[in-house]
Amino acid sequence: MSQNRNLTFGQRFLANEWSALAVAIVIGLVTLATLSSAFLTEFNLYVMLRSFCVVLIVAFAQMLTLAVGQMNLSVGALGGLVAIAVGGMMEKWGFPVPVAILCGLAIGAGGGLINGLLTVRTGINGFIITLATASAFTGINLGITESIPFYNLPASFVAFGTGRISALPYLLLPPVLIAIALAFFLARTVPGRQLLAVGGNPQAAELSGIPRDGVIVMAHTLSGLLAGAAAILAVAQLGSAQPSIGVDWLLMSFAAPIIGGAALAGGHISVAATALAVVLIVIIQNGMVLAKVDPYWVQFLLGALILAAVGLNRLRAVRAGGA
Amino acid sequence: MTPSSDSRARPSWLAEQSNLIGLAAIIILFWFLFTSLAPGFVSSFNLFALSRSLAVDIVIGFSTMVVLATGGMNLAIGSIGVCAVMASGYLMQTIGLPIPVAMALALLLGAFLGWLNGFVIVRSGVNSFIITLASASLFLGGMLILSKAQTFNALPPEIAAFGRMRWGGFVSPLLLVALAIGAALVVLFRFTALGREILAAGANPRAAELSGVPVGRAIIIAHTLSGALAASAGLMLVFRLGAAMPSIGQDWLLPSFLAPVLGGTLLAGGFVSVVGTILGALLVTTLRSGLLVMQIGNFWLQLFLGLILLAAVMIDRYRGVYAERRSLGRKTNLGRKESGRRA
Repeated sequence: MSQNRNLTFGQRFLANEWSALAVAIVIGLVTLATLSSAFLTEFNLYVMLRSFCVVLIVAFAQMLTLAVGQMNLSVGALGGLVAIAVGGMMEKWGFPVPVAILCGLAIGAGGGLINGLLTVRTGINGFIITLATASAFTGINLGITESIPFYNLPASFVAFGTGRISALPYLLLPPVLIAIALAFFLARTVPGRQLLAVGGNPQAAELSGIPRDGVIVMAHTLSGLLAGAAAILAVAQLGSAQPSIGVDWLLMSFAAPIIGGAALAGGHISVAATALAVVLIVIIQNGMVLAKVDPYWVQFLLGALILAAVGLNRLRAVRAGGA
Repeated sequence: MTPSSDSRARPSWLAEQSNLIGLAAIIILFWFLFTSLAPGFVSSFNLFALSRSLAVDIVIGFSTMVVLATGGMNLAIGSIGVCAVMASGYLMQTIGLPIPVAMALALLLGAFLGWLNGFVIVRSGVNSFIITLASASLFLGGMLILSKAQTFNALPPEIAAFGRMRWGGFVSPLLLVALAIGAALVVLFRFTALGREILAAGANPRAAELSGVPVGRAIIIAHTLSGALAASAGLMLVFRLGAAMPSIGQDWLLPSFLAPVLGGTLLAGGFVSVVGTILGALLVTTLRSGLLVMQIGNFWLQLFLGLILLAAVMIDRYRGVYAERRSLGRKTNLGRKESGRRA
């Protein structure tokens, strides 16, 4: 790796984790807009923004566990469980929509709390804990539903999932509010700062009196809460509570924060960069659809994108270290 | 995940044996339970089905175990497996190569994909979790693009015939293949310099490097081996199903970790138990088969497997704490917290 060539430009470019993403997004937008007349239509923008919503919250759910140096393999499984719970409460038990949503969020947070407590109390690697709880959550989901979705959801709830003001779907409102709340939480509140401190350097954080275990439990709980929120949005988006919601979240949940530059070791996350990464992923997916390419290319490209992002982060770290 | 050395000393011989005996006792308990509740469990038909799926579960477990030995993980096992499966299907059905040649080439492909993982991990210095998560997606996507998700179901009839073959009434030859692989792994880890190097690289990479162990090479070899084993597990499924399906491997993640972790292999690296992995796989297969025979069905199975994994790692954790206390109260807090703690 040539550390001394193009130092000023290279450094400035690499030092900012947004720049590469922003450039990629602009290139993607321009390319698609020139190649396809369908790209900038109101309906296509609406479709893109709609698919942006769930993915963004899923990415945030993983980002919070990555922030404390943990991981949550159960985001998808927990999401599936919340999805069918909310669907079941509305269809079978006739719960009003807000009550069902609150119960769903509580289940999500509860699942996250279990993950956090198990990780902290037993001291076992979070990977194994959440691999196991993921299987348990999926098992409960499938045991209850036997893979049969809930279709008869309240009309108002489904209407929220499809409604829009020109290109802006109503669905976009919760993710935007969550993103703002998260950015504020991480930048301006004590628990938020503590979360980043624990992720950055657990020993230093502990020595400065931050309750390390409590912060990890909090991160897992928030992660579960967000997984639940994503699941509820997914139910609204699909118009039915599918037991299969969440099965394809795992890769996406890691892809966005990592492409956005979250260090797997913790402590370094960015709400904005993660959101930009989701924008990039959505643009790529949409481009694939417009170009009528095999949908399998999305899977392939997502893997390549993660590797590229990891490589770029690595390069940035090397340069920063060398400077 | 670079744990310090003393936070997870290799379990003593006695502790290892007690783990294996405990696991065996649990398995025997479940066999009694299932046999008394559902007599169909020990029918020769069910035992045959059990021996076939056990063979696959064992080899999947080995595939993860050899990477755990280095303290890494391989999330791409399912993807590598299915790539090998589809390659073998293509080579036999479309190209018309003889079975052994096609199988050998598919195994080579698996080994190559594993090597690729190891190479990128060592060269980039990035966590194996991220690399194999990305490469899993890459391999699976590539396979789907090339195969268009079409099943190869006109394979030579010998394939299905071998899959149906029974020895002694209910033992599938595939199980013997799995056990032979196990024996080879025992030899590798116990009696060869290479196996020792892989374990040393996992136990304490820095110390290993300083004592002249080529750590990078050991990690790459472990991943290559893992890829070849994943390919073997995939090919076993080709024999069992008589077809090469693109859906193979997608549900391997949990069992691949269950078998070695139940069997006492350390996530942090440096210690493996081949017999433990076989017993761990036997427990998983027993539960799956038993719940199926009792018609509790696949739906609740996931829940049981998850709970069992949780229970097993917790027992293992407390065993570890006990062992640590006995090792003259060495202060291990710092290292353990830094490493995200051992499992």
